[in-house]
Amino acid sequence: MNARDAIFSALRRLRPEHLLTDALDAQARELAAAMKTCLPPLEFSDLVENFTARVTADKVGATVERLADWSGLPEAVARYAETNGLEKEAALQPDPRLTALNWGGVRPAPLKPDTMLAVGAARGGIAETGSLVFHSGPDAPTLYNFEPLHHIVALEARTVVARFEDYAAAEKGQPQPRNVNFITGASGTTDIEGVLARGAHGPRRLHIVFIG
Amino acid sequence: MNAPAGTFKERAHKALGDTNLKVALDRTTGNARTKRAAAVAAWPDFDEARKQSAAIKDHALDNFAYYLEQFERNALASGAKIHWARDAKEACAAVIDICRQAKAKTATRSKSMLGEEIGLPHALAEAGIRRVETDLAEHIIQLAGETPSHIIWPAAHRTREDVSRLFQQHHRDHRLLTEVEAMVASARHELRDDFFGADVGISGANYLVAETGAICTITNEGNAELTTTPPRVHIVTAGIEKIVATTEHALQLTRVLVRSATGADLTQYTTFHCGPKREGDRDGPEEFHIVLVDHGRTQMLEEMPEMLRCLRCGACLNHCVVYRKIGGHAYGGAYPGPMGSALTPVFDGLENTRDLPHACTMNGLCKAVCPVDIPLPTLLRDWRAKSFEAGYEPPGVQRALKIWTFVATRPRLYRAALAVALPLLRRLGKDGWISRLPFASAWTEARDFPTPPRQTFLAQIASGEQQ
Repeated sequence: MNARDAIFSALRRLRPEHLLTDALDAQARELAAAMKTCLPPLEFSDLVENFTARVTADKVGATVERLADWSGLPEAVARYAETNGLEKEAALQPDPRLTALNWGGVRPAPLKPDTMLAVGAARGGIAETGSLVFHSGPDAPTLYNFEPLHHIVALEARTVVARFEDYAAAEKGQPQPRNVNFITGASGTTDIEGVLARGAHGPRRLHIVFIG
Repeated sequence: MNAPAGTFKERAHKALGDTNLKVALDRTTGNARTKRAAAVAAWPDFDEARKQSAAIKDHALDNFAYYLEQFERNALASGAKIHWARDAKEACAAVIDICRQAKAKTATRSKSMLGEEIGLPHALAEAGIRRVETDLAEHIIQLAGETPSHIIWPAAHRTREDVSRLFQQHHRDHRLLTEVEAMVASARHELRDDFFGADVGISGANYLVAETGAICTITNEGNAELTTTPPRVHIVTAGIEKIVATTEHALQLTRVLVRSATGADLTQYTTFHCGPKREGDRDGPEEFHIVLVDHGRTQMLEEMPEMLRCLRCGACLNHCVVYRKIGGHAYGGAYPGPMGSALTPVFDGLENTRDLPHACTMNGLCKAVCPVDIPLPTLLRDWRAKSFEAGYEPPGVQRALKIWTFVATRPRLYRAALAVALPLLRRLGKDGWISRLPFASAWTEARDFPTPPRQTFLAQIASGEQQ
């Protein structure tokens, strides 16, 4: 018997299948629903406010600003670069919402392992933890989120949902992207004595710009 | 795993005398307990969520074959290649075979306890493949030539002073660093080239999601994504018990997992990986392999199914009074602490590891903090019973237990024996404590025993002392 058959035959002997697919689906849904009755409370009813509180908390440590629309983003990036003593040069995630903007004083640059500053556009956000959501694809290569030392991410306020469950419900039955990244703050590690230090391998700083 | 030197008792004894180890363990586990407590305090229904999390894992395990087959089908459809392994040897052989086909010289690796369990570091070395550990703690212990001593903080036995010395010795930048931030920056610099130069990236998986065929990695450093994205080949090694029904279940479990592990609401990077690079993608691996490993899981499904719920959060280690004193290496297996004492006998045989289930005070803290409510004290007690039944206990212990059973199951004899023993024991006591017991000097060498009261509990009831 090959390894696959041996494993499945042991599993079937120990846990004979008895439920039909529909009944299993229903049971899985009921379990998820039961969890929803005992979730950690949200501090604020406004989703952007809640997202901001979570992501700027000490243990996450990202920074946040809010713009009325996309057109102000290049200026916000230039401001960030100046404040942090960086060159006005950024690797731009090839998202049409970014590439359509007039970058004026910010020089677009290719993404490299030692890129100082990259600008991204998130697909959405999760208010309960202050997490950004990215789906990989031609307009969202995964490495834009991991190579730069400083990462500025634009997030449309209307795309923020309250809970993981809301994200899962919206994506149910949709094709699965190659990578789904939930990003919560900058890269960090507690591997030396449990003390938090930032900029382990991914970005040391995460700055989120709400749009709208 | 390579066989550790000495017996458990010898290793534990040595660890207890290691003051540097004590400092490192106190700092890491102390920080972990404080942060977990704060996270749990902010979630009033956490205890109910633990029970729901157990039910979610049990649902997947009760329908194990169905969901595992669904996972396989969806993963294959995404372009992943699936490899099945009954044991550690088959699992390592599958990984090495993929590496050879890819003509790999260097493999980056993001922390995976399954990899440690099956001895993958050793197998890669034997195959002549350069292994670069990218998790900071794994990097530290690779430099030190050690194995992990904690499942979340593999370098929990190392102080910042130790790390500073190791980096000064091994990093290209030989400056002596005193701040943790500077040490982290030095490791970032040191590992950068390897992330982008490796031929193969190897990761573990926190979940196998049946409905999508995706696997999930959970890290704080971003090293998993830098390990799995640039190389041409990504290999996942995962125990089959990582199966969950849906993305929603995976995310719900992550809520309790991360709070229990580091006290954060969510890790910095929670990533679902599904298949190789697609048309139009600028990055991502061209080959995506998943090695699915049994290595005792089907045996556990029969003998202790609750253990298959384990999310590998490490909370039971941080709260264990034994782990906190002796650290992880004394346990001698890939997994230390309470969960390790339950798992290691499955992997290495009970006869060789019977000391581990005994290294427990049965205070129940491990079960109380477990995010999926695994009855660890019960599992450890079951191992003790099996060890006794199999005749693995030393002859003296077996005889003593047989005498105890004979007396304790005969109430009149038991009371008569106590009536004789009580005054004798009270004579040995001083200031309320007995520091030496005849025939049990090995036990009292490191412990004191409270002097028993003048009368037995039943006698106190009869005389009206106890109400």
